[in-house]
Amino acid sequence: MSEIAIETKSLCKRYRSHLGMGLPPTLDGLSLRVHEHEVFGFLGKNGAGKTTTIKILCGLVWQNQGEASIFGYSNRDKRARSLVGYLPENPYFYEYLTPRETLDFYGKLNGDTVAARNKRWDYLSELLDLSDIANQRVRGFSKGMRQRLGFAVAMAGDPRLLILDEPMSGLDPMGRHMVRDLMLRLREEKKTVFFSSHILGDVEQVCDRVGMLVNGKLHREGALQDLLTRETLRVDVVTRDVPEDTIAELSTSAQRVYDADEGVCLSFSSHDDADAAARKIYAGSGRVVSLTPIAETLEDYFVRQQEDGEGAS
Amino acid sequence: MRIRAIAANTYREAIRDKVLYLLLIFGIISIVSSRILGYMSIGDELKIIADISLASISIFGALIAVFVGTNLVYKEIDKRTIYTIISRPIDRYEFILGKYLGLITLLAVTTLVMGIISALYIVMMGGSLGVIYFEAVLLIYWKLLLVTAFSVLLSSLTSPVLGAIIVLSAYVFGHGTGILIDIPVDMQGTYMESLLAAIYFVLPNLSNFDIWKEYANGIEISHTYVVWNMVYGALYTALLLYLATLVFENKDV
Ligand SMILES: Nc1ncnc2c1ncn2[C@@H]1O[C@H](COP(=O)(O)OP(=O)(O)OP(=O)(O)O)[C@@H](O)[C@H]1O
Ligand SMILES: [Mg+2]
Repeated sequence: MSEIAIETKSLCKRYRSHLGMGLPPTLDGLSLRVHEHEVFGFLGKNGAGKTTTIKILCGLVWQNQGEASIFGYSNRDKRARSLVGYLPENPYFYEYLTPRETLDFYGKLNGDTVAARNKRWDYLSELLDLSDIANQRVRGFSKGMRQRLGFAVAMAGDPRLLILDEPMSGLDPMGRHMVRDLMLRLREEKKTVFFSSHILGDVEQVCDRVGMLVNGKLHREGALQDLLTRETLRVDVVTRDVPEDTIAELSTSAQRVYDADEGVCLSFSSHDDADAAARKIYAGSGRVVSLTPIAETLEDYFVRQQEDGEGAS
Repeated sequence: MRIRAIAANTYREAIRDKVLYLLLIFGIISIVSSRILGYMSIGDELKIIADISLASISIFGALIAVFVGTNLVYKEIDKRTIYTIISRPIDRYEFILGKYLGLITLLAVTTLVMGIISALYIVMMGGSLGVIYFEAVLLIYWKLLLVTAFSVLLSSLTSPVLGAIIVLSAYVFGHGTGILIDIPVDMQGTYMESLLAAIYFVLPNLSNFDIWKEYANGIEISHTYVVWNMVYGALYTALLLYLATLVFENKDV
């Protein structure tokens, strides 16, 4: 059994307004478990509390109730943070430092020796393509450059766990590609990655498991395949050379009939209906060009779960 | 090493602050222009020059401590540079201490610069320095240690504007705590007297650090007095820094 990298138990967080009044809870009993070597995608709509959860794990914000731990250390314990690399939503660094100096600074905070810091710089500047801008001040950096530096800072201590808050947001396709490759590489290196995201396509490509935060609780979690194969939306049957009257007959059980490029497309709501239709077409003189089950996309799933979760409470 | 890394960056950032140079220049102008006031006064010209020079070091040092100090923690939170820092394996007190040490190092430099300029100026005008001059500058610095600690405390509590108003009020008040025990006769022996005396002991008495008045007037000050004031200031500063870490320990950033 692998170790548990992140665990939260009934985490509750209620921020206070400036006047000290209680606001509605942001987290309301969040229990979550992420195993070592896993790439975990943390989903939830704007304002769901993803950043709040991440800040609690990284020791920036304290929970009102419940527990949060990293490799068994409480989030109050600095040993927990020595095992974590954190990339904030929009990373900000001292504007008057260069990437080289920035990395050196964080290396010192991590307690690394000069030799270790230099070695780490060599590795990270290569990996994240920072050599060209090594001695430029951060002040003029673009979003993409800042994000690369953010990754370098997160990886400075060679942490076992990376906690990334929306690592792909605000990046162009090239930048997103870079981040995705980086995450796949981290997975190969057997690191644990916990990241929040809105960009579902990216989640689909890199995650082992996902969890969805709705109303301050973990509404659903599981392996991506398990979650997604739950529902086949429809089965599309594309046909050719089928007589009009057969089409007319089949269209009573079909959800939808329309002309596709390859022929006539009949959409059925179940596999059984689609199979029955195919048999009928073969019995005549028609051909079945293709029979495709259309599974729910992560996007659909996301919206449906969101609605379910909100309806439940 | 962690504290030092934070202190070094704080120093580096503060030394780029334009406000610092503005205050430093005003301080130096004020030292140099003490001569004009010296001319105008009927009494001892040298006395006025010494008095105003050291007062300038004290006041402009305090302004730097307040305006830079009340920004220290607040700015890190406001600019979100703090996220990646305190998510490192450091304790929050280490962060506060690092910020504090960075600023007092800077203040040591500015005090030294103004102290040297004023010393040269006094000597140039024909005055004499003596050990007490250096003790006076040291105690001015010691007072800045306390003012900086209070500024850092407020910086982890509130905005720089409100923080600066509070620290400056406390600064003015802290120089006048003498009135608390200098009470009218009809109040003597009442509860009020004990209460005011208690407040007097709780509040820092900042004018204790101002031995430059004695220096300007050629009055002797014992070294023991200087040492005791340093002990008093150090304890007070430690208390304020402790409060700052308590506040910051539980703060959501
Ligand atoms: N410091 C704060 N003080 C008060 N309320 C806050 C604070 N930080 C966050 N909140 C509130 O908590 C809720 C959750 O915010 P959070 O940033 O955790 O959401 P999120 O899931 O990261 O959203 P997004 O997808 O937009 O980044 C929001 O309603 C937000 O207004
Ligand atoms: Mg967020």
